[in-house]
Amino acid sequence: MLPSPQASPYLVTPTIATLLLLLATVPFWIERAGLYPYLGVEILIWSIYALGFNLVLGYAGLPSFGHGAYFGVGAYAFGLAQFGLAPNLWLCLLAAVLAAMLAGAIVSLFVSHRRGIYFALLTIAFGQAFWFVAIKWHSVTGGEDGLLKIARLPVELGVARVDLTSNVSLYYFVFAVFALVLIGLWRLVNSPFGRTLQAIRQNETRVTFLGYSVWWVKAAVFTLSAAISGLAGALFAMAQMSAFPDVMSLHHSGYIVMMTLVGGGLVSFWGPVIGVFAFLLTRDIIGTYTTAWMFWFGLFFVTVVLFKPEGIAGLIRDVSDAAARRWSPGRVAVPAREPGE
Amino acid sequence: MLFDLLPHLVNGVTLGLLFALVALGFMLIVGLMEQINLAHGSLFALGAYLALAIVGGESAIGPYLGGTWHSLPLGVRYAAALVIAPLLVAVVGMGVEVLMRRTYDKDPLFGLLLTFGAAMVLEEAIRAVWTTRDYVLQIPSVVSGGFIFQDLIWSTYRFYAAAFAATAILLVWLFIEKTPYGAVIKAGAHDNEMVRALGINLSRLRLFVFAFGTLLAALAGIILAPIWGIRPHMGVDAVVPAFLVIVLGGVGSFWGAVVASLLCGMLIGLAGAYASEWSLLSIYLLLIAVTTVRARGLFGKKSLLEA
Amino acid sequence: MALFEAEALHMRFGRRVVLERVDLRVEENVFAGIIGPNGAGKTTCFNVLTGRYRPSRGRITFAGEDITGMTPQRIAQKGLARSFQIMTLFDEYSARDNVVQALPDMRAMAWRTDYPVASDRRLSAAADEVLESVGLGARAHVRAKELPYGDRRALEIAVALASRPRILFLDEPTSGLGATGRTRLRNLLMRLKGTLTIVAIEHDLELLFSLADRVSVIQWGQVIAEGTPAELRADPWVRRSNLGKLQ
Repeated sequence: MLPSPQASPYLVTPTIATLLLLLATVPFWIERAGLYPYLGVEILIWSIYALGFNLVLGYAGLPSFGHGAYFGVGAYAFGLAQFGLAPNLWLCLLAAVLAAMLAGAIVSLFVSHRRGIYFALLTIAFGQAFWFVAIKWHSVTGGEDGLLKIARLPVELGVARVDLTSNVSLYYFVFAVFALVLIGLWRLVNSPFGRTLQAIRQNETRVTFLGYSVWWVKAAVFTLSAAISGLAGALFAMAQMSAFPDVMSLHHSGYIVMMTLVGGGLVSFWGPVIGVFAFLLTRDIIGTYTTAWMFWFGLFFVTVVLFKPEGIAGLIRDVSDAAARRWSPGRVAVPAREPGE
Repeated sequence: MLFDLLPHLVNGVTLGLLFALVALGFMLIVGLMEQINLAHGSLFALGAYLALAIVGGESAIGPYLGGTWHSLPLGVRYAAALVIAPLLVAVVGMGVEVLMRRTYDKDPLFGLLLTFGAAMVLEEAIRAVWTTRDYVLQIPSVVSGGFIFQDLIWSTYRFYAAAFAATAILLVWLFIEKTPYGAVIKAGAHDNEMVRALGINLSRLRLFVFAFGTLLAALAGIILAPIWGIRPHMGVDAVVPAFLVIVLGGVGSFWGAVVASLLCGMLIGLAGAYASEWSLLSIYLLLIAVTTVRARGLFGKKSLLEA
Repeated sequence: MALFEAEALHMRFGRRVVLERVDLRVEENVFAGIIGPNGAGKTTCFNVLTGRYRPSRGRITFAGEDITGMTPQRIAQKGLARSFQIMTLFDEYSARDNVVQALPDMRAMAWRTDYPVASDRRLSAAADEVLESVGLGARAHVRAKELPYGDRRALEIAVALASRPRILFLDEPTSGLGATGRTRLRNLLMRLKGTLTIVAIEHDLELLFSLADRVSVIQWGQVIAEGTPAELRADPWVRRSNLGKLQ
């Protein structure tokens, strides 16, 4: 990820504003496009998950292969808070985020002094442990049958009460959360903390010798990422009205890795979102022709890793660079100052 | 009291011996390449599924094999599966090695992502062909069933599995220690620069070791299938002892790997005696504990894994 | 009292003893050199002095404070900077961003999550100043991995300088450089000499002896000779060994 010259003192960039505007109108035209509102909900929820995940993979360069655990913890916590505490939307979301954050914090204690394969193995082991508990702890999680009858709690804003049972209203709620997460993370990756993450990815030793407390930074980003994943998980549980253990499986944790990388998470802030689009559109379009669409996506992922690890975002950048050179050949090519696209 | 634990211990030993097959293959590969192949577990699973297909019967491929094949006695079909499936998996294993070549001089992160992707693709292929339902691998009646000894019920199959695994381990040992090719592999595991300097074709060696290692994993998968059941993600648990062996620094130590695998197996076996539902979880906790404590784990010399 | 002092350092890895009774005293603003054949323990010595390894025995004092066994990041925070022989730059970053990352002001903000770094003029200006001082002013915007080798070496030092250290450790700064590169580096070090304390490992004896105030010779993990360049030129051991290829 190259630093962005467009990190502005204003809250949002033109790109973000355009995207949000576009997304705000989705329910109006999505059916005409041959799709359905719930897809919009899924895209946004997975985007939140992927953006949070990419902090660890794309920005800090840490291969977390067990992130599904935090998504799942968020989902279950949302449901359990709803049944066990109170059916209040804000409370349940908070419970989910806190639970996932706690899980992430605990795991971060074990993984923060590592990188590479050890990091990966530990995250896999923890992911499996969480998944195991979710399956076997029948009394709490419902085991393989899952946690059912999770309700879409209404938004209580004091004066108003918005019911979220329809997919369209749920979409707007998720959209609001997405917008906040998007803006928050955009500012984060362009801040000193974000720079430090990227520096750690490029050369952790150097960062240590420059006087940074690298362990704490890694622990912090991992915990934050877990919290965001948990938030996504909670929204997911609400959207699906249930929570199942399989989101914590190694296989599902693999999905988020693949999406994020294919989209270009290693080089671009938008990579994860692009990846989510690619994944869900593959599911819905190729999925109509074959149930083995995941296999093809996996093959695509392997191809990307081998031949274009910069992913789709990288391809877009190459195309726009080539176009820029073609249309203004007189200009000296200044080495890419990545506009965060 | 202790006596009642015996069947669990036998289970543990059986598991441990089979884990050792997986771990040995894994170790040889890691030793030569200093890269961990996360797809090893999926190849273990693939072995079991292919055996399922070859034995025929109710599997997805069964109907395509034709009546003649099915009329053969189960023992013949099973033996055929035991030979053919691992060989097929070895071919796939070599395919993975070829894919990995591009990642050798890049950031190790790419090798990890690649083998992780390969594992996902393999598992997806399995799901696509066989779906996610549970299958049962039919075994010849001579090794199935149980018997009673000293008032306890024992499973015949576990003894067969243990015996088979032990024999296989012994054969692997003989191969590594007593044959010239084995010596080259051993040397390569310790110092692949040296091997290249000796004029040995490193890439062909890698290919062979990959084939050999994955063949062992597939064999273990076939033998373990009747004990664990056949599910798409059955391979994940099977490689944990292999990871553990690597983390403990067992590359190059044949019997070290076997002992570590046996310990894992016993852990599961014993856990099975007290909390059978949670027994598999124990090896993940063990992996976490070992990886955490083992600060400078691997290889003695600083290795590429040390990052 | 010396700014930096190492007393009776002893370092072993397993059963291998790599450093034995190594003493080092560096006064403020002195340019100290460390020489020795390959495998003598110079780099290990460096790593111990800069906190990468904890010495098995001995004491290290920096500005009057005992820093033995402190983590590298704490030592760095106290004003010790080092460069690396095998270059450790942030390859994807521009030269400017490499230096920015090293600035103390940036480090002080490391936990700020809501401040657009790229638009911070002060940071870029400070970074550009450092780049200018090593001759990279014109290439501030070039990505580190696209810089030619000589520039990367200069950047390596720039990053170490950026943290405004009290003492600068240079690990074989001329490594891999050709004649032009060496001259450039020598001029840079001449400019730095006297403005801060420098400790350098070097194989280029001509260069080091022309810059250093004092030099220590490490062989077999021990300091076998120490003194000014003139004294060492006269030292019989130094003359006898391969190192004595000096006029």
